[in-house]
Amino acid sequence: MSAANSNNPAEPPLRRVATRLCADVFPEAAGLCLVATLLAGLFAVGGVTYRALSHDADAAFGEHGRTLAGVMAAELAGPAASADESARVAFERLVNRSGIVAARWRDAEGLVRMEWPSDGGPGRSGAAAIALASGKSFATPIPGPNGRPAGTLELTLAWSFSPSHGRVFLSWGLFAAASLLVFLLIYYRLLRHVRPIQAVQRSLLDYAAGIEHELRALALSDSLGEVARGWNRLIQQLVELRRAADESRSGDSAGGALQRFESRTLRRTLDRLQLGVLRFGLDQRISYANAAVARLLSRTEDSIVGRLVSDVLEAESAARLLGAHARATASLSFDRMHGPDEHAATLRFTLLPAKADPSDGESIVTIEDVSHVKEVERARDNFLYHVTHELRTPLTNIQAYAETLTKPSFDDEQTRRECYNVIISETRRLSRLVEDILNVSQLEVGTARVELDDVDLVRLLRQMVQDNLGAADEKRIDLTLKLPPKVPKLRGDKQRLSVMINNLIGNAVKYTPEGGEVSVTLELRERHVRILVKDTGIGIDPTDQPRVFEKFYRADSEQVRAVPGTGLGLAIAREVARVHGGDIYLQSQPGKGSTFTVELPVAEEVGGASPSPAPAAVRPRTESSQGEAQP
Amino acid sequence: MSRILVAEDDPHILRVICMWLSRQGHEVREARNGLAALQQLCDQCPDILITDINMPGMDGLELLRHVTSRQPRPHGIVVLTNRWDHRKIGEQLANAGVLVMPKPFSPSKLAELIQSLGAAASAAARSTTATAEGIE
Repeated sequence: MSAANSNNPAEPPLRRVATRLCADVFPEAAGLCLVATLLAGLFAVGGVTYRALSHDADAAFGEHGRTLAGVMAAELAGPAASADESARVAFERLVNRSGIVAARWRDAEGLVRMEWPSDGGPGRSGAAAIALASGKSFATPIPGPNGRPAGTLELTLAWSFSPSHGRVFLSWGLFAAASLLVFLLIYYRLLRHVRPIQAVQRSLLDYAAGIEHELRALALSDSLGEVARGWNRLIQQLVELRRAADESRSGDSAGGALQRFESRTLRRTLDRLQLGVLRFGLDQRISYANAAVARLLSRTEDSIVGRLVSDVLEAESAARLLGAHARATASLSFDRMHGPDEHAATLRFTLLPAKADPSDGESIVTIEDVSHVKEVERARDNFLYHVTHELRTPLTNIQAYAETLTKPSFDDEQTRRECYNVIISETRRLSRLVEDILNVSQLEVGTARVELDDVDLVRLLRQMVQDNLGAADEKRIDLTLKLPPKVPKLRGDKQRLSVMINNLIGNAVKYTPEGGEVSVTLELRERHVRILVKDTGIGIDPTDQPRVFEKFYRADSEQVRAVPGTGLGLAIAREVARVHGGDIYLQSQPGKGSTFTVELPVAEEVGGASPSPAPAAVRPRTESSQGEAQP
Repeated sequence: MSRILVAEDDPHILRVICMWLSRQGHEVREARNGLAALQQLCDQCPDILITDINMPGMDGLELLRHVTSRQPRPHGIVVLTNRWDHRKIGEQLANAGVLVMPKPFSPSKLAELIQSLGAAASAAARSTTATAEGIE
């Protein structure tokens, strides 16, 4: 079906219109003609039959009328000569027969002697006169006594077909009705078959005449049946073929990598990408967009292709892309926030440069959701911000006190000692900080080396409590350890577990005022052990509680800031617990104290050891060797 | 010699600043946070204020907002900070006559800066007094 045929100049327009009209009205007109012909035929047959029958009936009627009139006239011959009364009785007896409509008896002079029905009275033209004048009448002379007619009898009879004639007519009527019904049925069935073909023909004629350029507009209603559905499938395939052909043509002139764009496989592949890909041409209309574009821009797929770039993208992005497209220089890439404030995504738009000659080029834009990258960048910046902040404090001290040492004016013994002490403690703080930062980073990203071993928790806890006794004793804090009688060994990294427990006990001691209590309790449960570190310290405000395990988080209160710390200890503790398949929980009341609970799973059976109802309280009496040097 | 107020939450840094400035003969007072510094400022306005930015409770920026909006105000204000956006802070505070010194800092440089600020302050005070006397 080529569009070239549609404008064939050889075909005169008049003929085209005639063809179109024929196609439009042919089945109906043909049907009507057939009905008319059939009816005419039936009426003609009926008319001929009627004529023949009525002729036959007329002949029979004339015969019958004449015979009857002759018989009646003969019967009246006798009474005609007699008195009036007997003649009247005879006349009335005669005419009172079935089939006689009217009768008139004229005398020899032609005067009306008697008539029936006699409502008009003698000499007046009544019902009998009318009937005799209009109906078929028979006049017969009444024989007289001397051979001369004694008068004339005129009769009008009711005309009727005989029963055999009626049967003929009934048969004809039934035949006519049946023929009509059968024809109508055939016509209706034929019309059902013809209509879709007629619609297809009409579509084709419209297309040939150039009225409908859009192939899709040629599709028919599916209610027209199988032919219409087949036709629609054909149209659909044609549309796809034409689109593929169009894209093939435009693809030849677009960016190199996407030249073979028309491939359906490639299209499907592009639709499965997370990356949005869209293409637009010199008319600034989008000629292609994969499925991701609709998703990223929160639009429906059919509201993108065919639209202007400025209608689909927000104004600034569209202006930048179109500007770069017009210049056809280097590629362009920029990030824009998209969506409602709280769920805004960061979209990265990248314009791939068009060909050297932009006049025939289409540009390709990729759209990528870089929200997660931004999130990572923010987290990294935040981490760096805290790390540099935390590192600068000990560095500042080391630099300041070292410079003080070099100044001859601070030459006294006490100042020198103070400087040395600060430099040493701040160097330790620095190295601890570096180690903490490395630990928490490795644990978080999962690159930490965890050396699993059988860990004797009782021994570990005793050691950690012992290490913190010095600091506790300085503040007169009662540090106790409660252990159940039999504790199974735990699979874990001894070094990291000790860091975790040390951080928790160290924190408890640091944030508990003088004379307070810190208790460390080990509890056995069916499938895990619990280490509870409870203090009577300053407690943690409910608003700070969800954040205490975040890196570098420290509550913004003077009580907290008065205690040196980096905000990494609890973050490390939680990561260690999680690396061991456990977790850490916090219960705290400001002013009353806090309880940190570590839950660690045990792989093996406890081995009959039941938790003792009265755990032994252990109070190791060893001085800490790790007391911080204070200036 | 100048009256100097130092607001700093790290005790070691506070100590070393005080050590250097007292050795130069200045009268140095200490505050461990912004609020304490503001109270001392209300009691007696110093010639020079040295403050950290990140402090518990009231931080240095909040303190500066109070200080720069009231009279009398210190002749010189020096901010010591270990924030990495110290340049931006310096640009923001330059109009208010605030000098920003990033940490780690050299105490001798700080002492020199305070010395020059003190000299400028006393010169300004002298000229004010001279003008006042002239008017009288």
